[in-house]
Amino acid sequence: MTQRISKYQRFKMMNPIIQFFKFIYLSIKIMVIVAGGHGGTRKIN
Amino acid sequence: MAKIVVLGAGISGHVAASHLRRKLPKEHEVVVVSPNSNYQWIPSNIWVGIGRMKSEKILFPLAPLYKRKHIGYKQAKAVSFYPEGDQNEQKPYVLAEYVFGEQKGQQEKITYDYLINATGPKLNFEATEGLIPGKNKTYSVCTYTHADHAWEGLKALIEQMKQGKKARILIGTGHAKATCQGAAFEYILNVEEELRKHKVRDMAEVTWISNEYQLGDFGMDGMLLSYGSMTMKSHEMIEMIFEDRDIKWILGAGVNKIEDGVAHYENLEGEQKSELYDFAMLIPSFSGHGFKAFNKNENDITEKLFKGFMIVDANYTPKPYEEWSVQDWPETYQNPTYKNIFAPGIAFAPPHSISKPRKSKNGTEIFPAPPRTGMPSGITAKLVAENIIDTIKNGQESLSHKGSMGNMGAACIASAGFGMTTGSGVSITTYPIVPDYEKYPETQGRKLGKTFGEIGLAGHWLKLALHHAFIYKAKMRPFWWLIPE
Ligand SMILES: Cc1cc2nc3c(=O)[nH]c(=O)nc-3n(C[C@H](O)[C@H](O)[C@H](O)COP(=O)(O)OP(=O)(O)OC[C@H]3O[C@@H](n4cnc5c(N)ncnc54)[C@H](O)[C@@H]3O)c2cc1C
Repeated sequence: MTQRISKYQRFKMMNPIIQFFKFIYLSIKIMVIVAGGHGGTRKIN
Repeated sequence: MAKIVVLGAGISGHVAASHLRRKLPKEHEVVVVSPNSNYQWIPSNIWVGIGRMKSEKILFPLAPLYKRKHIGYKQAKAVSFYPEGDQNEQKPYVLAEYVFGEQKGQQEKITYDYLINATGPKLNFEATEGLIPGKNKTYSVCTYTHADHAWEGLKALIEQMKQGKKARILIGTGHAKATCQGAAFEYILNVEEELRKHKVRDMAEVTWISNEYQLGDFGMDGMLLSYGSMTMKSHEMIEMIFEDRDIKWILGAGVNKIEDGVAHYENLEGEQKSELYDFAMLIPSFSGHGFKAFNKNENDITEKLFKGFMIVDANYTPKPYEEWSVQDWPETYQNPTYKNIFAPGIAFAPPHSISKPRKSKNGTEIFPAPPRTGMPSGITAKLVAENIIDTIKNGQESLSHKGSMGNMGAACIASAGFGMTTGSGVSITTYPIVPDYEKYPETQGRKLGKTFGEIGLAGHWLKLALHHAFIYKAKMRPFWWLIPE
């Protein structure tokens, strides 16, 4: 096993308070990306 | 009065039927034809497969909901398509066979004005010899019954490991052209985490086997993504996770035969190899359902409707990878020959893969087929429904709603372990799903920032929130339509 994620990174990944804010941030960000519209890619002559 | 028939009650069929019903006056008929009696939220099968969620939590019966909402429902499977009707039936119809109740085995001509084929994939286990869910120590999590079996198998193995057995666990793709790597990725991380929770991690060797050329390809040719303040490639991110979790990997592997506890595969070098295991979860290849189509004179016209999956407004001209364009991908999911037939979700035939095609030295194609995850399945189903609604209301064909996978974002919230405080998730979004090298030439066809990755507890909460939100939406509870696809 190779420790690729440091203890500090892991602490940030699993800390419920930090992650609560991340949850709000991610929810909004994902909503913007996904619900932010979609359309065609072809040029209409 | 128009009659819209929807084949399939999975994510796309159900989304289409519910939007049609909400927006069309009652004089128009919406009928769902599907062999499944329950709606299932497939993404949560991952948790059923590790015993953290009961399958009852991810499903509900369709008949009572459809009755309440005035959506017709026939528990039947489509068999063949007659888009011009026949000598005795003027209207186009689908021949369907009932699979349940007194009518079981009976066939019916179900006529339509508009047809939405949302039959998703056939789970083509037969394409890999010996790959049978629940047999030869291989399992699947593609349906809730498969996931229940997978948990039974895993639980039994964990018990043996507690008694001192050393075990090999193999998770990934079970065919050279399989897709849905994301689901297998979630499952391997969840299984690995469960082993830790049961304190048997040190007894197991956990291995990822996949037809991907690199880790993190996910059938999308991999991606360049923002990760915190860095920009990294998806294979670097997944490599980091796998190394950190002590998960080994075998790539470029086309699994072609399963024997009890042995997976045989060919790699890109053309070598035939095998991998031993005590528990395997391998995603089968997905194929079309093998439907046939006939014209008015009952001549076979299958090639006008199907190319494995259903033919839609894509550019199917064969061309080399270097010439693929985002414009090849469909926008309205309308069949070019029969313009009242549409195929959203997994049911449409993609123009080509998204990942670079690769062949082994023996000429065997080993690369992922293109995935169509829940989000694009829902979005394409909704836009098909909206175009049909506009066409009915305007009295003329209207195709103003468009949604190419080359101009659409998708989120993959991959669970990496279950638990309100101990769980984890890998959240990845891509924009667009199909890379657009003209628009984003410097960033591998995708927009950085909108294509990003995150790891942590919040990802688990997100996946759980999506589970509840989408089941609420599927049950058509108050204001369900405010929840985006
Ligand atoms: C284990 C797993 C985990 C996943 N996790 C995620 C995730 O986290 N996020 C995500 O976005 N996507 C995920 N996906 C992908 C997602 O489930 C699919 O993209 C989605 O289900 C596709 O929707 P669909 O309606 O096209 O097909 P399906 O959901 O497969 O629905 C097809 C429907 O057609 C019906 N049908 C079949 N044959 C016939 C016939 N002959 N006549 C009539 N009806 C028929 C079936 O019974 C079913 O109701 C996951 C998939 C799997 C397998």
